[in-house]
Amino acid sequence: MPIKWILHWHPNPGTTVNTQILSEVSQCAESINGVKEGRWKTTLSFYKAMAREQSIVNEFPRDFVGISLAEQPGKYFLVIRGQRLVVEAESSIQMIMEKLQSYKTRVALNFEVKLTLVQGNQYQLGDFQLRVGKVVPMNSENLRGIVMEMEYVPISSWEKSREVMADFFELWQEALSKRSLPGHFVHNEPNFADYGLSDQYGMQHTAIQYANITAQIVATSQLQPPRN
Amino acid sequence: MQQPAAPPPAQPPPAPAGNAPPKQVAQALEQLGQAGRLIADVRLGADRLLEALFFVAEKPHHQYSAKCLNLILKEESLMRQYLVNLRAIGRQLEESGVLNDSLRSRSNSWGLHMPLVCPDGAVVAYAWKRQLAGQAGASAVDRTRLALKAFTDQKRQFFPHLADDSVLEPATKKHCCPLPISYEEIGDLKTVSDMLSHLEKEVPNLQACTYQRMEWLKRASSLPSSANENPTESTKDLSFPSTSKWREHPEMHAADKAAVIELLLPSVFRAIVSLHTAGSVDPDAVAFFSPDEGGSHLHARGFSTHHVFRHVSEHASMALQFFISAHPKMALQLLLHWVCSYQTLFVKMCSKCGKLLAMDKQSGLVLPPVKRPYCFTSATSTSKNSPTEKCNLNLIQAFHIGCFSEDT
Repeated sequence: MPIKWILHWHPNPGTTVNTQILSEVSQCAESINGVKEGRWKTTLSFYKAMAREQSIVNEFPRDFVGISLAEQPGKYFLVIRGQRLVVEAESSIQMIMEKLQSYKTRVALNFEVKLTLVQGNQYQLGDFQLRVGKVVPMNSENLRGIVMEMEYVPISSWEKSREVMADFFELWQEALSKRSLPGHFVHNEPNFADYGLSDQYGMQHTAIQYANITAQIVATSQLQPPRN
Repeated sequence: MQQPAAPPPAQPPPAPAGNAPPKQVAQALEQLGQAGRLIADVRLGADRLLEALFFVAEKPHHQYSAKCLNLILKEESLMRQYLVNLRAIGRQLEESGVLNDSLRSRSNSWGLHMPLVCPDGAVVAYAWKRQLAGQAGASAVDRTRLALKAFTDQKRQFFPHLADDSVLEPATKKHCCPLPISYEEIGDLKTVSDMLSHLEKEVPNLQACTYQRMEWLKRASSLPSSANENPTESTKDLSFPSTSKWREHPEMHAADKAAVIELLLPSVFRAIVSLHTAGSVDPDAVAFFSPDEGGSHLHARGFSTHHVFRHVSEHASMALQFFISAHPKMALQLLLHWVCSYQTLFVKMCSKCGKLLAMDKQSGLVLPPVKRPYCFTSATSTSKNSPTEKCNLNLIQAFHIGCFSEDT
């Protein structure tokens, strides 16, 4: 599968993310000969355990994320970052999870689900594909963040692609820096081996990268007041 | 394609970018028309030349042979002129963005719908609607553009050693470097099996196999082509029986009738070389693909779906032509060795600009250095040590398309 880097926008201290930045980033993609191809959407579900007693809630992992990826809507990925777990399931598992909530157990436990969408346009630059997306809570237009996917189609080995991706990231940063935006994109590389994944890139790798940036998305969206 | 009524023919534009779109369209139309006429002139000239040559060849001492010779000389200079003019028009069209893809990729394509030429030659009028307009929609612009494209594609395919600007210029000094392996070593490798086993020892991780033609076609079609295939499963399936066929059963005649050689460097490339007659050591075509690619287009004359490998394949065809013409007896060994120099395709910086990725001006794409020099001098390497051989292969320089020139 093609290698993908997930980047998220890191605003300069004291600034917030807004739609102006989003449109500048999109224009930058077009300025380096990116051909706009269509829309894409990734859905992130944040699961939070809820129960009457806080002690029970604390036993459950706090970083439990469900991810539905644009290129494979039939699959659903569940990641618990703290324990380095990633599971690939059919998308029908969401139905099972809902039904489980109403299953009576000794401890009544519900999961509160917050849905967040990452959606935007995708651009083709030869063998590279760039996706620029805004992070919005479901049923809302408030911009919480900007996420980008940077994909290189000819290679599927994570190690072998490192130099090419790093170089392209640099090229991209250079192109963006000409627009003097208040912030920059950041790429954090997760340790895939910890999750038991191989060097061959797959959708689980993407899911883990998304899970990694969710902490940042949640943090920045809670700090800033919602802005358009 | 929607076009306004053509204004009267314009003078050659000093700054095409400054003109209004309808005028640019009209100029492009006129230039394409001129190009069409020049191509017709070239064709007629070629016919006349051939006729004259046949005549002189049959009756060398005929009274008219002197006249014919004059005709040939005159025709030759006329042809040169046509080709020069054609090239000039081609450049103008490229600059205005008509001939390359960059205009199409710009969001403001003159405010007009840019027709899309599909790979099979069909012209689609509205690229964004992906409708098939059919022949009625193909305008003069589209047809001439198709003709020009077919012209250059065929020239590139059948005369790959003719670089775009080298037809009229004297033979330029080629970029030459010492051979990466010694002649004595190569001389010992007589059969395909010898060559491949030697190569596998030299290049770490390389998997080399031979196939008969039908075998290869079956294998190519069975290779997983979708990016969504589970990668761990597919690598298990690729432990193909024929991988070790030529090694474990040397007495089998299958290796002798090998017609296709596959060089797989996992995670980097898969190169296919076809041999002219099955069982010979004469290569006649080479192509590069991504190791994850699969399908019936995976053969020595096929084209990869990825731009980077398409460019490498094009360059490889030129290298092959050079090896066949300059070192015919060792063409296969040299080719196989040269192919393996691409093990550094995604890591080696360009020897000219020092960067890994660069935007290619002609295609508007970001590419790694896809060119490697193939013009070797006869200086032999002095050492036969294996570590030095490995180093030699990695010493072959890499260049971006724009950084590579024949006479560096």
